Amino acid sequence: MKENLTIALAGNPNSGKTTIYNALTGARQHIGNYPGVTVEKKESIITYNNQQLKIIDLPGTYSLTAYSVEEVVARNVIINEKPDVVVDIIDSSNLERNLYLAVQLMELRIPLVFVFNMKDMAQEMGIKIDIKSLSNLFGVPIIETVGSKGDGIKNILDEALKAANMPDIKYPVITYDKVIEKYVNSVEELIKQHSTNIENYNTRWLAVKLLEGDKDVMQVIPSPIIQEEIKRANVDINEMLGDSPETAIASARYGFISGACQECVTTTVEARHNMSDAIDSVLVNRVLGIPIFLGLMYLVFHLTFTLGDPFMGFIEQFFGFLGEKANVLITHDLLRSLIVDGIIGGVGGVIVFLPNIIFLFIAIAILEASGYMARVAFIMDKVMHKIGLHGKSFIPFLIGFGCSVPAIMATRTLDNQRDRILTMLVTPFMSCGARLPIYLLIIPAFFDKNQALVLWVVYLIGIVIAIVIAKILGMTVLKGESAPFVMELPPYRIPTLKGVLMQMWERSWLYLKKAGTIILFVSIVMWALTVFPLFPENKVAEYEKGLSELEQIIEEKTAELVKIGYVVMTDENMQEAESINSKLSDRELAKAEKIAVEIEEANMQIDEINNKVAEAELEYSAAGRIGKFIEPVLAPIGFDWKIGTALIGAFAAKEVFVAQMGIVYSLGEAGEDSEALRDKLRENYSPLVGFAIMVFALLSAPCMATFAIVKRESNSWKWAFFQFFGMTAVAYIVTFIIYQTGRLFM
Amino acid sequence: MYLSEELTSSLEDYLETIYLIISEKEAVRPKDIAKRMNVSNASVTGALKTLANKGMINYAPYDVITLTNEGRMAAMDVLRRHELLKDFLVKVLGISVEEADKAACAMEHGISVEIIDKLARFAEFIEICPRGGEDWANGKISHCDKTVSLEVCQECISSVSDKVHKNHCKQLQGGRIVKKLNDVRPGERCKVVKITSKGNLFKRITEMGLTTGTVIEVERVAPLGDPVEMKVKGYHLSLRKDEASKIEVEMI
Repeated sequence: MKENLTIALAGNPNSGKTTIYNALTGARQHIGNYPGVTVEKKESIITYNNQQLKIIDLPGTYSLTAYSVEEVVARNVIINEKPDVVVDIIDSSNLERNLYLAVQLMELRIPLVFVFNMKDMAQEMGIKIDIKSLSNLFGVPIIETVGSKGDGIKNILDEALKAANMPDIKYPVITYDKVIEKYVNSVEELIKQHSTNIENYNTRWLAVKLLEGDKDVMQVIPSPIIQEEIKRANVDINEMLGDSPETAIASARYGFISGACQECVTTTVEARHNMSDAIDSVLVNRVLGIPIFLGLMYLVFHLTFTLGDPFMGFIEQFFGFLGEKANVLITHDLLRSLIVDGIIGGVGGVIVFLPNIIFLFIAIAILEASGYMARVAFIMDKVMHKIGLHGKSFIPFLIGFGCSVPAIMATRTLDNQRDRILTMLVTPFMSCGARLPIYLLIIPAFFDKNQALVLWVVYLIGIVIAIVIAKILGMTVLKGESAPFVMELPPYRIPTLKGVLMQMWERSWLYLKKAGTIILFVSIVMWALTVFPLFPENKVAEYEKGLSELEQIIEEKTAELVKIGYVVMTDENMQEAESINSKLSDRELAKAEKIAVEIEEANMQIDEINNKVAEAELEYSAAGRIGKFIEPVLAPIGFDWKIGTALIGAFAAKEVFVAQMGIVYSLGEAGEDSEALRDKLRENYSPLVGFAIMVFALLSAPCMATFAIVKRESNSWKWAFFQFFGMTAVAYIVTFIIYQTGRLFM
Repeated sequence: MYLSEELTSSLEDYLETIYLIISEKEAVRPKDIAKRMNVSNASVTGALKTLANKGMINYAPYDVITLTNEGRMAAMDVLRRHELLKDFLVKVLGISVEEADKAACAMEHGISVEIIDKLARFAEFIEICPRGGEDWANGKISHCDKTVSLEVCQECISSVSDKVHKNHCKQLQGGRIVKKLNDVRPGERCKVVKITSKGNLFKRITEMGLTTGTVIEVERVAPLGDPVEMKVKGYHLSLRKDEASKIEVEMI
């Protein structure tokens, strides 16, 4: 009995492999990326029968040829990591196509177990499979399961362990046409004589792959003698069979499968139009399809924000509470500022969006699991193809209108690395939810009469730029074949609660972990930039000269009020104060109210002083200086150093722009609905500048959470930085054009 | 394809025979040839020597005979001419297969490649052109011999125009309607005949189960006109129209 076995799960997409993987491993999964590629690596270690088992979830593939990065990865894992057994998860309702992968696994001559999943669906469709005969024919043990219900899953591990410990492999060898076999043999001989480094491989498999023109194997075996033989083979086979070797070999595999199925599979009812077809006739309808789709998307976004709001409020309160407590508990000024403003403020500002993001993840998981996402790709492909993208790219774009982070994670569904990266790079141009506060601040300030129109124009600019950039990148940096559209439309299925929650949990955890660490880091850096260098004490003292006087005044006046017996009304004590104050005489009341007003004024003056100090501190700090330093660069696009400083803060998270603008105009805490801030804006800038600000915020580098996720999903810093600098460059150029053209007319 | 050296008809016959025997049995002995062609061993030896001199075969006494590349090409050329002539005789002139075979054997030598090509294309044309077709070729032999009247001709013409309306495109291949998959409309069923794509697309199409002989039922077209959804091997597959144009199908 071997100890510490490795079991690899293979199978078509949509065959229920992930559900079975989740059932076998629970939530204890380790997820990373395979080195150098954007393919996810999922493995997990479980204990079963006192043994440690490593279970690898291979990427879902339809075959093992070398055209897509997933297949090469899956193949290399099997060949190089040598799992003790490979379990192929097969959709029983879709047998022939699923067996294409199975047959290729058999060609690798490794221990196998076949799992005929979705037995319930097959039964519904009237498909009867003679498992015993099929198993005998293939020489592979076959288990039937209904993964979504958990039936039969335990047997998988038992059979896998049995197979892993079995010495011989008795799979039938698929024999091809006479002329092909002739060359398979000759090439195999040459391989044995002329190749090194092939101990991991089965030589017949290598020969067949070379005849198929497999690019990956051709790199393993570059011998020119063998290349010559292959060329000869190509000519001969074409002549004799009228087909390329690739076609002939594929046909032979399907012929074998077809023969096996004819013997062992009967279809009693030709289920022509089932439930799935009926639903599709409505959802993908020529006329209704797009309106229904738009309606559904609106519903998803609406629900996300409505359901998320109460949670958002709760988190805001929580962080506010933390901030207060820290304010009180920490005595060291600088440390307190770091914790409260830097960490709690920065991190909290991003975490506050978590509920919205989680709900988005849930919605996406449901749409994906139900099968509707494939229909979305189907409907929108024509438009996407014109830009040089794939129908599946539409989904990240759509989600991007909510938040770029889940949008970029959604690019996993794209088959082709080039499409995936191109989509990731361009998605943040879709104006996300965090930029909304900026628009909500600026639009009422400058475009009171045409608010909806201007907002719409901003969104439109984002979309247009995205399309243009996608086209440009597709022709230059990311040149290459776009993946063929050939795509399966899986039957509609009711998503399992467990599956949806697991997916939501996995992605949210990823967001927290990855984005969280970078967010924390950048928050601290941002904080440092806005605090250091410290505004010198003597200068602060100048501002605060008047402070002590004012505080004294307030103390004295408050004492007077107490003497009179007047209670200042606040939100909390309205009723109490009323009843107490009504007992005073009119003259006392009048006097008291006058004093109260004086106290108010003094407070306001204190606020003003504090705000001025904050403004001066910011101006003095690194962020302020950088803002001043880049002012000449910002001038051509209409910005001054104050906007520059605020934009630096916006890198952390876009909404920070508004808060920073508030500080820079000495308004202290300001939100997007601050009329005072709008006044300041109107005083200092023209509508053109306002518009320029929005365009720049729209197009410039995405927030740090997005940056972190792009790095993770593309598995390289290169693309994350490319996006960062590229988007900023695009923002600058476009804003420049808009601003300068605008100036010509004004 | 023209021969680098001109061969006599008799030598061409030898080449043809050698090629046929090789494709059946792999190796050829002089006595096999003698038997097939009904000639003496001596004649065979003489011919073989000449062919070897001309570089058409590899011939050593008491050894098996094989064709050189040139010899193979020459033999295939002869065979091709034979088939084309036979085709023409059977399809256009309505001659029986055995007679056509014998006649072709006699005719295949000495006719220039040009003439043969034109005969071949004429035969093709007769089959494809709606005004012609097998019926027309046969009609030429039966009806028109007897009486030629305006009525008979008018009937003939209107039935042709009916046929054209019904079949969008009728090609060689014995009366099957062969189209590209992107021309098949929703609700129609067809069977894959040939896949003309290469590389990535070919592999994708194959692994999704679209191999020769697979039945496809076209379901619908997307709201924007592209892509197309179809039922294949029991599941739903979608393809762009330009991808579908690389698959030739036969309507059923």
